[in-house]
Amino acid sequence: MASADNLREKIKSKRKALQASLGGSRQVNDNRALVAAEIENGTRNENARIVQEIQNEDEQAENLKRTMKAQRRRRKKMLVDDTDDLHSEESTQEVNVITPRQRTLPPLPVSTPRTSFAEFSMREKLREKLKAARSKAQSAIQQEETSVPSRHLIRFKDPKSVTRFDTEVDEEDAKTAGVDELPHPPSKVRFREIANKVKQRSKDGFPSAEEAYNFFTFNFDPEPEEAEEMSKKQKQLGALKNIDQEDELEDDGDGEESAVRTEVEEEEEGEEEDQPLVKDNMDDEDDYLFIIDQTARDFLVIKAPDYESYYSQQQKDKKVLFTPSVLTVATSEKIPEDMQPRFLEDEGIYVGERPKVSKSNQNILENRLLKNKEGKKWFGSDGRIIALPNPIKQTYTRPPIFSLHEKVDPAIEIFYKKLCALRNAVKSITDYHNVHISATQRRLVEYKSEIRTTRRLCHMEQEKDWTLLKNLVKVWKDIKSLREFQKFTNTPVKMHLRRQEINRKADEISYEREIQTEVAELLEDYQEEYENKLAEYKKKYEEWKAWRKAKKARKKKKKSSDDQETDDTEESSIFEEVPKPDPPEQVDVSLIEQQVRETAARIRRKPGEPVLTPELSMTATVTPTDQCPRGEQLRRQDVQRSSLYAKIIFNNKEVSRTSSQTLSADFRIHFGQIFNVQIINWPESIKIQIFETMGMSSIKTEVFVPIPETTILTGSAPIDEIEFSSAHRIMFDHEGVGSGVPFSFEADGSNQMILLTSGKLACSISWAVGEDGVPLVPPVLHENVGVQRSLKHIDAISSIGTSGLTDMKKLAKWAAESRLDPNDPSNTALMQLIMSTTSGEALDNDYFRLEQLQEEFNFVSDQVFNKSKRFRLLQLRSEEVAEFHNFKQVPILDREISEKIFQEYEKKLHEKDTVDITSHLDPHRALVVSFLQKVRDSVKSRFLLGKHHYVLSDMVVEEAVPSISMLGISLLKLAEPRRPLRPRRKERKKVTAQNLSDGDIKLLVNIIRAYDVPIRKSVGGKPPLTSRSARSISETFATSQIPQSPTQSHEWFTNQTSVRPFVEVSFQRTVRQTSTAEGPNPNWNEELKIPFRAPSGDYSTANLQSVTDDMFINVFDEVVYDVLEDDRERGNDVHTRVERHWLGGVQVPFTTIYSQSRIDGTFRINTPPVLLGYSKERNLSSERGWEAVRSLSEGSYLSLFITVEPRLVPGEAVNEKLETQEDEKLLQKAEKFQKEVKQKFPNRRCVTLVTDLTGKLVFVTRFIKALSPPQELLDAFPHDYEATMELVARYVSLIPFLPDSISFAGICDLWCTSDQFLNLLAGDEEEHAVLLCNYFLAMGKKAWLVIGTAIPEGPTAYVLTYEQNQYVIWNSTTGQYYGQFDAFCPLQSVSCLVSADNVWFNIQKYETVMRIHFDTSKSNFWKPFFSRSFPFPGLSSVQPEELVYRRTDKAAAVELQDKIEKILKEKIMEWRPRYPTRWNRYCTSTLRQFLPKLELSRGGEVGDDHSAELQNLLGDYRISGFPINMAFSELSPIIEAVHSTGVHNTVIPQVEFALAVYVHPYPNNILSVWIYVASLVRSR
Amino acid sequence: MAELHIIGQIVGASGFPHNSLFCKWGLQTGEALAAVCVGRGMEDVEKHEYFVPHQIKLILSLSSASGWPKLYMQVWHQDSFGRNDLCGYGFCHIPSSPGTHDIQCVTWRPLGTWQEQLSQMFVGGGPQLKHSDLIYTGADRYRLQTVAMGKVHLQLSIILRNFDQYGVEY
Repeated sequence: MASADNLREKIKSKRKALQASLGGSRQVNDNRALVAAEIENGTRNENARIVQEIQNEDEQAENLKRTMKAQRRRRKKMLVDDTDDLHSEESTQEVNVITPRQRTLPPLPVSTPRTSFAEFSMREKLREKLKAARSKAQSAIQQEETSVPSRHLIRFKDPKSVTRFDTEVDEEDAKTAGVDELPHPPSKVRFREIANKVKQRSKDGFPSAEEAYNFFTFNFDPEPEEAEEMSKKQKQLGALKNIDQEDELEDDGDGEESAVRTEVEEEEEGEEEDQPLVKDNMDDEDDYLFIIDQTARDFLVIKAPDYESYYSQQQKDKKVLFTPSVLTVATSEKIPEDMQPRFLEDEGIYVGERPKVSKSNQNILENRLLKNKEGKKWFGSDGRIIALPNPIKQTYTRPPIFSLHEKVDPAIEIFYKKLCALRNAVKSITDYHNVHISATQRRLVEYKSEIRTTRRLCHMEQEKDWTLLKNLVKVWKDIKSLREFQKFTNTPVKMHLRRQEINRKADEISYEREIQTEVAELLEDYQEEYENKLAEYKKKYEEWKAWRKAKKARKKKKKSSDDQETDDTEESSIFEEVPKPDPPEQVDVSLIEQQVRETAARIRRKPGEPVLTPELSMTATVTPTDQCPRGEQLRRQDVQRSSLYAKIIFNNKEVSRTSSQTLSADFRIHFGQIFNVQIINWPESIKIQIFETMGMSSIKTEVFVPIPETTILTGSAPIDEIEFSSAHRIMFDHEGVGSGVPFSFEADGSNQMILLTSGKLACSISWAVGEDGVPLVPPVLHENVGVQRSLKHIDAISSIGTSGLTDMKKLAKWAAESRLDPNDPSNTALMQLIMSTTSGEALDNDYFRLEQLQEEFNFVSDQVFNKSKRFRLLQLRSEEVAEFHNFKQVPILDREISEKIFQEYEKKLHEKDTVDITSHLDPHRALVVSFLQKVRDSVKSRFLLGKHHYVLSDMVVEEAVPSISMLGISLLKLAEPRRPLRPRRKERKKVTAQNLSDGDIKLLVNIIRAYDVPIRKSVGGKPPLTSRSARSISETFATSQIPQSPTQSHEWFTNQTSVRPFVEVSFQRTVRQTSTAEGPNPNWNEELKIPFRAPSGDYSTANLQSVTDDMFINVFDEVVYDVLEDDRERGNDVHTRVERHWLGGVQVPFTTIYSQSRIDGTFRINTPPVLLGYSKERNLSSERGWEAVRSLSEGSYLSLFITVEPRLVPGEAVNEKLETQEDEKLLQKAEKFQKEVKQKFPNRRCVTLVTDLTGKLVFVTRFIKALSPPQELLDAFPHDYEATMELVARYVSLIPFLPDSISFAGICDLWCTSDQFLNLLAGDEEEHAVLLCNYFLAMGKKAWLVIGTAIPEGPTAYVLTYEQNQYVIWNSTTGQYYGQFDAFCPLQSVSCLVSADNVWFNIQKYETVMRIHFDTSKSNFWKPFFSRSFPFPGLSSVQPEELVYRRTDKAAAVELQDKIEKILKEKIMEWRPRYPTRWNRYCTSTLRQFLPKLELSRGGEVGDDHSAELQNLLGDYRISGFPINMAFSELSPIIEAVHSTGVHNTVIPQVEFALAVYVHPYPNNILSVWIYVASLVRSR
Repeated sequence: MAELHIIGQIVGASGFPHNSLFCKWGLQTGEALAAVCVGRGMEDVEKHEYFVPHQIKLILSLSSASGWPKLYMQVWHQDSFGRNDLCGYGFCHIPSSPGTHDIQCVTWRPLGTWQEQLSQMFVGGGPQLKHSDLIYTGADRYRLQTVAMGKVHLQLSIILRNFDQYGVEY
């Protein structure tokens, strides 16, 4: 069966390749698994397997034969099992093992579909290949018909190829194939039925698990199928043959093989029946075997096979293929022409041991190489194929005693060979190159020294070898004696000493020659040495001789002259030192020879002695256990019990472990497993822990395995042996030698030894190779991704540990020791680090820094960042800093932003803390301002949350959908009678502040008419030209006709003086004026539109509320002067100058307009007490008294309507629940009360709880408490109550007014207590009213706080007193008082009265002052808060016990007065840039004298006397001017007021000005400022 | 100065169990992003009806690219009684490439015990985060048992300015 054997060989090699590729693919598949699957028989063990395989083959064949039938029937089962062992690679042996197991273990039903699918998909895939393979197989059959297939061969194939299929399972594909294509062994109809069932089933999907299980495990009746089997094998074999033939088509091998396999394994389909190969065998059975799938057929085309005759194929093969001959190639062919082969080894060059290759293979290779063009480059100069030294290192592990010998032996040979080669070289050099002695001399010397050292080494090796041999024999003797002593043998080790008889004579000769050579060499050496020494001797001798001569000469000299004795001695002392040299000794040849012989005897085998070769064999019979003594039996049991397993620990985590294996008798364990580990982290350490379990206990030892280089890949990794040991001490109670326990070999117990548990672990670690052949190696990090990475790369951790990384010094030390390559790019990070640490010791930081690399990532440093102007601007804007709040467009480049933008802001910031006293004129006020600012800030932050409250309407503009009710109303409106003559103001749509921008908002001021405008007095000189209109006496006030003074009345009637008033409205420095009307009761009815510009363009509610601008409505008299110089031209020319004289004004703050949204009413014009050149029609001064007050009022009045277009939504008060200290009951009651009254009178304001300065809710009555006014005021008019009251009211009104809505923009109404008010010296109506009310109470009056609405303030607080059966209403901010029935009382409605102990709410029908009753006792008019059901709980007051007033500092007042005057003068000059401003000193001093009088009279009465007096003083000057009185708060309002009068606007060329300021101090630093401004024109 | 302009809108939301939602949003930036300059549109609380787009306009000046801003939001639901219930938390990264981006911010809501869920069903309320930073820091989030809520749709246009001056390429 030569061919069979040949075949077997080939198949084996084939399978090996297959397995290798399988292993590879397996690994690829498993790469994904974190913990790899266990592979039972690794590729590693394949070599070992094969040997056993061959031995087992015969019995295996028998085995197979026996089981074949059953197997065929159970093939499906096996397939199932194979898939179960998807991760296991099967070998031939495995099949045998598996087969019985399959009988006991039913296959898992779950996996059945997979298998079948696999096959089907496979078949689908391979259909193409099938055809090609068949044709080849066909030809193969023809070629080798005789060859008999052996069954077991095919058995090998079966499971394996199936396994291969399984690895390529593509279940998705398989699904489409369906179950109906299931291969099934030829069987009976029963099977078919089931198959059919399955087929039907498969239409809807997969078979259920049960069905599949039944299908595959059903015990079908066995059927003889030998014939079929045979035919299949034939086919298969044919295919295999074919493959073998086509070696170069290696790749196709698998495919073809599997193709054939498929063909065989699955039952053939009809389409292929016509092929001759299958036909005869298959025909009979195929009929019923096939379940023909019609659909599948639709895709198939039946074709005749392509056929090529064998001969033609051979011819083709000849063309294509080249079969190198096995014959030896002549050396001359292998080396370049006309060259002699050169043997490097003989020349002493190390060539290493060549790997062992069989001669025939080498010949084939050489022949093939020579066929190539450049084939010769593969051959070295010695005519042999260039080969690297044999990489295989042969070591033997057990028993160690022999390994030593084996290790040493080759060394001797090498040295010996080298020695010979060197000798040859020397010889050849001396022989052939005598001519070039000089050139080769040096080489010769080198060779000789080399020979010397080599000889020494050779001797050493020989000696070692000899002693080793001796030891070997000794150990063996020991073992033998021990075995005899113990009476049993444990190991199969046996040593033979093979004695090799040699030709004694030849040996002796060679021995002798060897010695002679050595002696000769030595002699040569010695000779050389001798010559050297001789030369030296001669030299020295010459010297000595010369010295002797000199000595003798000196002696002669000495004799001749004694003088030189001293010199002589000196000289002699020098010369005497030269000794007489000894001549070198000649070397004794015999001595040398003796030495050489001695050493040779010591270290070498004696000539003629037989060569003893120790031979180790494992043939000794191990004593069976039952023959052993009891102790040994126990030990063996123990050994069997003890099992070992290993854990693989990657990065200190266990990733997998081997199966537990029992220790075999020779203490060897074969795990044979491959573990695939997919790693995610950088490998730091791989550790293998070996555990020995013996019974319960387990012992652990650890082995560290180096992490493989990236070049070490699977397949190329060598298996390393790593020794391990454990110091664990184990004692046994049997004869086994434990670990760590001293024992002795000797019987007497001497020579104790301690053996430790130790062993060797053979393993290999490598990087896997991916499916596409790319090694799955982590990329080598060249970039310095970070210090840590690069550290890991060179594995510093393993050398100094992780903790060392943080210790710089340690790291540096390690780096120095490990001699890192500084040029290696992967080390750069580390080198830098080390450089920095070593160079600068100061870098020793004690602190720990988070994100220490942050700086690296920063674009710019913080300084640069903060310098950016644009950024700063953006930041300030987002912080809503007032100046930048509405900065709409921030320039995009830094350079486009000028520094000026910030200058003001920075200045402000700077001044915030240091209060500028100069601008405030008064240190106290400055402090107050800063205090207010602080309060504002704190309150602002408190209400910040509420401020950000938006309602839907703020964000979404939504047009109301008209509803039925609205439609109805509008329809009704249509029906309304039209009254075009009585137009009504329509409700306008409200506009939210967000949608506004500059120019959208306009203030509409409708000036209707004025009453009682002062009229001109004709004063001396010429009367004005334009006094044409007749003075019409207003009949409005019947009672006002008061007799005038005679002079006045005279003037009145004689000079038809009149007035031509017009109204000028100025707001935000925008000025609009009406046309000029005639007379003291002019009627304009004009609408003025004034644009409104919110500061910094922000139209948010908060900002609008904080607008502090006031609207000034001034009434002027237009005076026209005739400036025509020449009377003769009067007929032709009209030369007039228009002058305007201020008559008075009304000041309306914008906040009032904003919060009221419209102001409609008649206002009292604030006319100055003295208007030079003007007089009122009536003088009421003489009639001061309550009666007069009741019926009429002095002064002029102006009817106005002011509104904002479009209508703005006023800010809503924040209904924030503030903290309070009030009683809970009171709070509830207050809430209830407010709710009740709100329902009835939604428009009336009910005040119960108010917010105090600290932001707490306080009940309003707590603010009312009798507080005495300053004593000075009371003392001023000791008997005149009315005067005192007026004075007190004036005092209160002099406290500057500062509305809450400005100070606490849009937040809420804050109430100050009176002492706070007096301290702050600023407050709004409530504070003034409270203070005034308190004063009145202290003066014993009946006084109430009136909460209502007034013009122009809006919601406000007044004071009501009850005097002499009538109620008087006091405006606390102006100091004016009105009777209840005064038509011009600004108080429009009354909603609440507050006293110290109760709050009354107005529940009367009307709320205007004139129409209500103030009798609070009537419960149908007033609803009291505290009634009988809820009596007044006696709330204590929040006011202080007593107000403390500071004394007035008169000096300070004078100082302030001067300051103001100076500033005002400067301002007026500033306002007149084009004209010179002259000051009339005389007039000024006169005015200054006059001002204190005005203060005393509190304005008014003295006017006429004063003007007369002035007129007298100034004579021919025409004066127009007036005093302004105001409470002092700051300088700017004063300036503003002076500006608004427009006195400076005079353009008369010769105009002079007079300005006087008087500051009257009141207690507590309340100052009344009088400013007298006048312009004087010299009248001719 | 590298600037990041974020202009866009919260377009709406989908997948929430309720209508009538509103959303509070904020911007979280790293500490290294030393100074954050927020332009108009940064409201602490923004209430709007379902599907009413809300504009976002932000200007950020960056001193470093680390700590890239995140937008976090709380979705609230206002029921017919005017009560506001938490409907979800979520955050999304501001895209780092210029251009217009449609972002879907998925949200979640902490799930209470069954008693809490029951009471939530009838009387409203429910568990909420104590600290809103938990929305975008993942440190403790795993402790929470949450339920997924809907998505908030954002449309953000990103303008990166001067980044090329600092070697940032995009």
